[in-house]
Amino acid sequence: MRTEAIDPPGIDWLRVSPKYVTVRLAGWALGNLVAVALLSLPLVLVLAGVWTWPPVWLGVAVPALWLLLALWRLALIPRQVRSIGYAEREDDLLIRRGIFYQRTLVVPYGRMQYVDIAVGPVERPLGLCTLKLHTASPGTNAEIPGLPASEGARLREQLSARGEARLAGL
Amino acid sequence: MALTPEGARAARDPAAGSGNETAGPDGPRPAAGPEATADAGWLRVHPGSPFVRGWVALAAMLFFFGRDTFERLLQGGPVFDDRLAGRAPWLLVGGGTVLLLTVLGYVLSWYFTRYQLAEGYVRVNTGFLFKQQRQARLDRVQAIDVVQPFLARIFGLAELRFEVADAGESAVHLAYLRADEARQLRARILAQASGAVGVAPAPGQPEAAAAEAPEQTVLTVPPSRLLGSLLLSEQSVAIVAGGIASVLLSAVTENRNFTVFLIPAAIGLAAAYWSSFNKGYNFTAAVSPDGIRLRYGLLDTRAQTVPPGRIQALKVSQPPLWRILGWYRIQVNVAGYGVAGNARQGEARTTLLPVGSLTDVLNLLALVIPDPGTPDPAAVFTAGITGLAGADGTPGAAAPGAGDPADADGGFVTTPRRARVLAPLGWRRNGFTATETALLLRSGRWWRSLVVVPHQRTQSMALQQGPLARRFRVADLVLHTTAGPVAPRLIQAGLDEARDLLDAQSARARAARKRQRSEHWSEPAASPAPSPADHTQEGPNHG
Repeated sequence: MRTEAIDPPGIDWLRVSPKYVTVRLAGWALGNLVAVALLSLPLVLVLAGVWTWPPVWLGVAVPALWLLLALWRLALIPRQVRSIGYAEREDDLLIRRGIFYQRTLVVPYGRMQYVDIAVGPVERPLGLCTLKLHTASPGTNAEIPGLPASEGARLREQLSARGEARLAGL
Repeated sequence: MALTPEGARAARDPAAGSGNETAGPDGPRPAAGPEATADAGWLRVHPGSPFVRGWVALAAMLFFFGRDTFERLLQGGPVFDDRLAGRAPWLLVGGGTVLLLTVLGYVLSWYFTRYQLAEGYVRVNTGFLFKQQRQARLDRVQAIDVVQPFLARIFGLAELRFEVADAGESAVHLAYLRADEARQLRARILAQASGAVGVAPAPGQPEAAAAEAPEQTVLTVPPSRLLGSLLLSEQSVAIVAGGIASVLLSAVTENRNFTVFLIPAAIGLAAAYWSSFNKGYNFTAAVSPDGIRLRYGLLDTRAQTVPPGRIQALKVSQPPLWRILGWYRIQVNVAGYGVAGNARQGEARTTLLPVGSLTDVLNLLALVIPDPGTPDPAAVFTAGITGLAGADGTPGAAAPGAGDPADADGGFVTTPRRARVLAPLGWRRNGFTATETALLLRSGRWWRSLVVVPHQRTQSMALQQGPLARRFRVADLVLHTTAGPVAPRLIQAGLDEARDLLDAQSARARAARKRQRSEHWSEPAASPAPSPADHTQEGPNHG
């Protein structure tokens, strides 16, 4: 699955729920349906005789290209979801994600300012939630999506407790 | 109207009577020594401030109107529009009414704004329709600014801004106080925040005794150098390029209309240069036990105080043209300053040194990082600012400090030679080194820069790698700090080195955090700690 991961070796990653694929699929479907519909608009207008400019081949090619890219991204979604992982170490939390563009994030517990749990309309029926850590830096984009609700609650409590124990100033 | 304020004040302030006396019509008199108990010592800002603020509003109105007229004049129009001239009386009456209402609003806001400094907190009550009570812990101070806009300066008034770490607007913002009073208040706040004065003084103890910490000027920027730095800035290069392009364009197309657009552009540019000059004029950096003091400004002056250990990250950079004269600038991230809404003002506030020689840079670095954690800081910093790895590869990669080239390059570990295609110019510059107290990241062959992040200030870190970088087995390491102009990023480090650095840096940051936990930078001799944080005096950044 991975060519060479950039994260430090010897870490047992906890993976997010496979059901998160459904959430990503819903987002994918919504976003791309709108995009393809908008991109097909010139084609429809040309065919209806309202517009004259874009030739039919261009009107077909643009949405088709978009659709092709979207399908490729669709094929990647399961792998992308599988690549999301987190690990609780003694003093910090590690979050990794990505296949082509990999990122491994280290957030020391003592740096956490607060922890958010968000549940979206697609996540709710699946019993999933998204956990987000905030530090004093706006650059910290520490998000763990697709956690089972119970795991999310456990993690939140755990992080809060550990954060309190290791609290540091700015 | 007469009833509401009385009732409101009584409700807000149980000791309204005493508060009223201390803040009489003559304005606050801290020298008279109001007792610093919880409910006494409420003060008002200077009674002249609503009028000064009103004048500022008038000046703004005049400025907009004047600029409009001026531009019309340039385009050959009459001073007053014919349609406008007929309605002049109405406009004057309307403008006067707006001005009067503005000043009335300011008077009311002055009447209902009161502040208090007691028990380790600064409290401010504002508003008469929508009331706001705000209190900020003194030991959370990130920076204090004393600002004097030109008009306020004429009247000897000053504005005090108290910044905490929320990267937004100032937590406490008092406009206007008498200039000496503002300095006095700043000294009291800093003295209490540093822990040098008991945080909760006994009732009756005269608080106004806090003297201003003695300071020592470290460097000044002469106006000639400021002017030179402006002329050689990136902005000038862009202007010259733009000017040449437009002249060429007008010559080719034989269209003279370009010149019409050049005049307003020139005025705008002159304004931009003037504003930079006005802000950077007479820049003075001084050091005091309360931290770094920066003073600057020609018409509007500003004095910033950044207590020790409040600098989250720092960048030394050099635009290409400045290399001719060997100049550098230093920018910093301070939690309270953030990326302020007013971009130009924010830029001035986060500048630690607008322009200076390498010696100035090293002097300032020595102040800001009092314990560089390396035996030869000058060599390491110089290598970070101007150094270049050998053309044959990465001297520091194998064993830092082992070989001769490693010593020559300050121990910087640079991009491996295999990835030189990714950065044909910068690969010998892009690199990092860690001292015992800070991480140094350098980059750029033409736009040289050196970023310094103290270990205990690292918030979080991320290792990033794209598909191209993976082919060359390199990765970027991004350090997250508070909002500001400095965004520390190690570019294209070898994968193994980056991975090791991620681990090592986590460990170093952890150790540094354990060492320094107190917010107070100078501890009282025998005063009980107000917060549960342990007050060990180990931190290298404590005065």
